[in-house]
Amino acid sequence: MGDGFRDEARESAARLRATLDAALDAVITMDHEGRVVDFNPAAERIFGYSFDEVVGREMAELIVPPSLRERHRSGLARYLDERASEVLGRRIEIIGMRRDGSEFPVELTITRIPIEGPPLFTGHLRDITERLEMIDDLRASRARLVAAADAARRRLERDLHDGAQQRLVATALDLRLAREELEAGEPERAGELLAAVEDELMKATAELRELARGLHPAVLTRHGLALAVKTLAGRAPFPVEVSVDAGSRLPQPIEAAVYFVVAEALTNAARHAEASSAEIRILADGNDVAVAVSDDGRGGAELNGGSGLAGLRDRVAALGGEFGLTSEAGTGTEVRARLRNGADADGRGA
Amino acid sequence: MPSNVLIVDDHPGFRASARRLLASHGYEIVGEAASGKEALEAVRSLEPQLVLLDVGLPDADGIELARALSERHPEARVVVVSSRDREEVEPLLDGAGAAGFIPKAELSASALRDLLD
Repeated sequence: MGDGFRDEARESAARLRATLDAALDAVITMDHEGRVVDFNPAAERIFGYSFDEVVGREMAELIVPPSLRERHRSGLARYLDERASEVLGRRIEIIGMRRDGSEFPVELTITRIPIEGPPLFTGHLRDITERLEMIDDLRASRARLVAAADAARRRLERDLHDGAQQRLVATALDLRLAREELEAGEPERAGELLAAVEDELMKATAELRELARGLHPAVLTRHGLALAVKTLAGRAPFPVEVSVDAGSRLPQPIEAAVYFVVAEALTNAARHAEASSAEIRILADGNDVAVAVSDDGRGGAELNGGSGLAGLRDRVAALGGEFGLTSEAGTGTEVRARLRNGADADGRGA
Repeated sequence: MPSNVLIVDDHPGFRASARRLLASHGYEIVGEAASGKEALEAVRSLEPQLVLLDVGLPDADGIELARALSERHPEARVVVVSSRDREEVEPLLDGAGAAGFIPKAELSASALRDLLD
């Protein structure tokens, strides 16, 4: 019977050991004097020490940055004194230190092991450098999207004010004058004014139509991507080859994103790249849509902060898609995007 | 009643309409300016009795310009115009020395007379 118990105990211990060995998180156990009692392989990997190098040494000296050591030591002392702690039993974000002295952000939980005698503490730690970087990127991307939307609104206000609004004001004045000329018995002068009014109104209408198209093209909403893209291609100042293979309609935000990728790429090709031809390829199979716009211009396009291309990348990323740009100087530009029906901003779903 | 007019506005369409309107009511248009800089030049050289001044000029704040004109050329009366509405513009005119404000779409000889008399 004794043997059976010992075997079970040994197996159990071996399982627990294996669990710690296999854990991806660092698991470190510390005694009441702050010395390392246990240090699993993940801890070795994350902090750069071997078990033999750390066991029995003060943990604070090994993995706590110098600026935080006193806080660590006094925290431990306070716990031993008052049995109270701010850090036990919750996840905290803190800075850790590797063997080479480099510091990095860590997510940490510390629990006290409930055994008799002087307390032992176990910490589970993970390196959250990548997670924090992703959060920063996401925040920056969201801020850029908001800024882009605000900038677009301001542009719209200015375009409306400087364009159509001014024309309509001039029209009002001219109509007033035309009426006065009629009342003064000068139909010819009235006629001339009315002709000027007609001209201004045509121009105002054309401008409003352009503005509306820039906001959201009616042809996209009513007839879908293929026709809308062909219309864009037709308005370019150079020949554009279009190949759209799309079966059914896609969700509106995805169609809009693809449309604006094409619109922006063609605008850049005409305005900055001095291209003489371009090609648009769109392939949609109900779940995925991939778009590529390439031109034969002078390349060198960049994805910097406020550029239209950066705005496209943000828009595509917000829909859980992928954006790509190839633009070596002298060899033309290719703008690519791939969007998945139903994916959310983290690329999950569908 | 001031009769020599300088029209200041960066929109050629409005300048043309205003010119037609004022000329047909006996005003003499002595010049046009499309920016704050041109306006100051024109007031200095043409000595108009009335300046029709758009608030939204590309290189200057129309209100500031009105103030500068009323200080340097007090003999030229300034009437501010804008396609923005009264609520937005009139509060800005306090102390700027302008004779008043007319929304562009309401510009007429009688509106000017009412302001300047």
